[in-house]
Amino acid sequence: MNLINKLAYYLVIILIILSINFFLPRAMPGDQLAYLIGENPDMPTRMTDEEREVLLAHYGLDKPLSEQYLDYLVGISRGDLGWSIYRSAPVLEVILVRLKWTMLLTGTSTVIYLLLGIFLGAESAWARGNKKDTWSLISILTVSSLPVFFLGILLKIFFGAELDIFPLDGAKTTCASYANPLEGVLDILHHLVLPAATLVIAHIGGTYLLMRNSMLSVLGADYILSARAKGLSERYILNRHAIKNALLPIVTMAALMVGFMITGTIFVEKVFTYPGIGLLLYDSVMCRDYPLLQGLFLIIAISVVIANFIADMTYIWLDPRVREE
Amino acid sequence: MTRMKVNDVLGSLGLGILAILVVVAIFAPQIAPYDPHHTYKRMERPSSEHLLGTNDIGNDILSEVIYGTRVSLFIAFMVSITAITIGTSLGLIAGYSGGVAEFMIMRIVDIFLTIPRLVLIIVIAAFMPRSIWNLIAVFIIFGWVMTARIVRSEVLTLRNQYYVESARMLGGSNLYILWRHILPNVIPLVVVQFIMEAGHVIVAEAGLSFLGLGDPVARSWGTTFHYAFECPTLYTSDVWMWWMLPPGLCIVATVLGFTFVGYALEERLNPKLKTVVGMEI
Repeated sequence: MNLINKLAYYLVIILIILSINFFLPRAMPGDQLAYLIGENPDMPTRMTDEEREVLLAHYGLDKPLSEQYLDYLVGISRGDLGWSIYRSAPVLEVILVRLKWTMLLTGTSTVIYLLLGIFLGAESAWARGNKKDTWSLISILTVSSLPVFFLGILLKIFFGAELDIFPLDGAKTTCASYANPLEGVLDILHHLVLPAATLVIAHIGGTYLLMRNSMLSVLGADYILSARAKGLSERYILNRHAIKNALLPIVTMAALMVGFMITGTIFVEKVFTYPGIGLLLYDSVMCRDYPLLQGLFLIIAISVVIANFIADMTYIWLDPRVREE
Repeated sequence: MTRMKVNDVLGSLGLGILAILVVVAIFAPQIAPYDPHHTYKRMERPSSEHLLGTNDIGNDILSEVIYGTRVSLFIAFMVSITAITIGTSLGLIAGYSGGVAEFMIMRIVDIFLTIPRLVLIIVIAAFMPRSIWNLIAVFIIFGWVMTARIVRSEVLTLRNQYYVESARMLGGSNLYILWRHILPNVIPLVVVQFIMEAGHVIVAEAGLSFLGLGDPVARSWGTTFHYAFECPTLYTSDVWMWWMLPPGLCIVATVLGFTFVGYALEERLNPKLKTVVGMEI
């Protein structure tokens, strides 16, 4: 029952996102056609009334709103996200080409910041009150308060420009020919270091703090006391009793973080000119490529909703108490 | 050091930072050496005339950053005060009245919390002409959500307290009870939310302006940062030190100021948190 409720809830949210996407440009003061053809408001496109009629008919804008909405939903269900005039290609295709870079970047950063945050948080809580705990707390909180784009540029200037050990831009060397596939992989990893490091540093604070708090409450539990009374080693208690139980809140947070991660990725990709969908979003804003912009919003929002759904399911699966309810 | 002292130190440090910034914002015309829109020789290095040099169109960078304080703080203040007022009102209504109103408000809150906030803000801002009023409007749309949720859950516990029930029994109207007995008790939470939201808007606004969605005339720190980032010689010269670092550090200082004050207030107003967070230094 719980599962069906959740599923229905998330389907409603997806429908709402689809509707926002449909009604947003229509609620804006500008001309809907101007948005679709990417017109610059300072330089209006000159066209005759007949040409306008043809264009309106082409986009189905001459139909009543309800019919447009239905057409839009049917189009989406077929994977038709519209046509980007600026790139002269279907929106979905443009996005799919770029998606792999974003997935590489966010995937790597997510794995690293989760593992590192969990590890440091657990260590910090274990050594609570010590100098080690205090200093990791202060330094992590301070570094995480840097805006992600500022942090990215500082890393880029320092490690990219001054020390010249990492490339400044891109996901791989342009026009490079590799002797063997391994060289290509290394090149991509080399380009990945700074963007991924920026995302990891920017996001580690939340995981660290949550893990630390969660560990602190677990360490006060009775079963830790009994484990200690049994004479188990401290390391064993930490690894087998404390960390496992403290991990639960991290699951919920990891889903919430998907949204933050995507926001961070937009800035990081812009700073490092990393060719993922974040940079695509920025470019589409700059060239007024509204169909592409809306397609990106749809893909990003729906991915975040799906991530939330997966987290909810994992939570139910991990915690029997939630399952019973 | 004891915990109380750390709190006081952090709190006063935060208040100090914010006080300086407010003074700079109010007296910007008196403090700034030049008019930020006046043009001089372009791309000058720092000198006694222009302490932070000049930018690509010849504006004095120091004056631009000083005036930027105005823009950034103004946006943060306007957004927070409006969004928190809306959020508190909706939270009070949802928590106190229950029923259909509560259901509707809380579903909207859930939806807003699921949709990635900044991405939608970028999309909406892209459709609008670039101006600070539009930025303020977009941030308000999303700024009330957390407050509404927090206030509602507090009201849920407050409304069953004995003193509220006695007030009701003595014939107090709903509006009277909300105003005299419930609102004063949620004010501490609201103040903390206000501070947190202001810090959040500072970063979000800087981010949006960094992406080029800020007001090109009323330049906030983020806008200055944006133009510095577009400078082609950013990585081959040390121009970033006087063009990019000052607005960046201002953003960081402001965020830290808000965070410290928010943290100190939260610890003091909500003693329950102490055991959970347990920040022993």
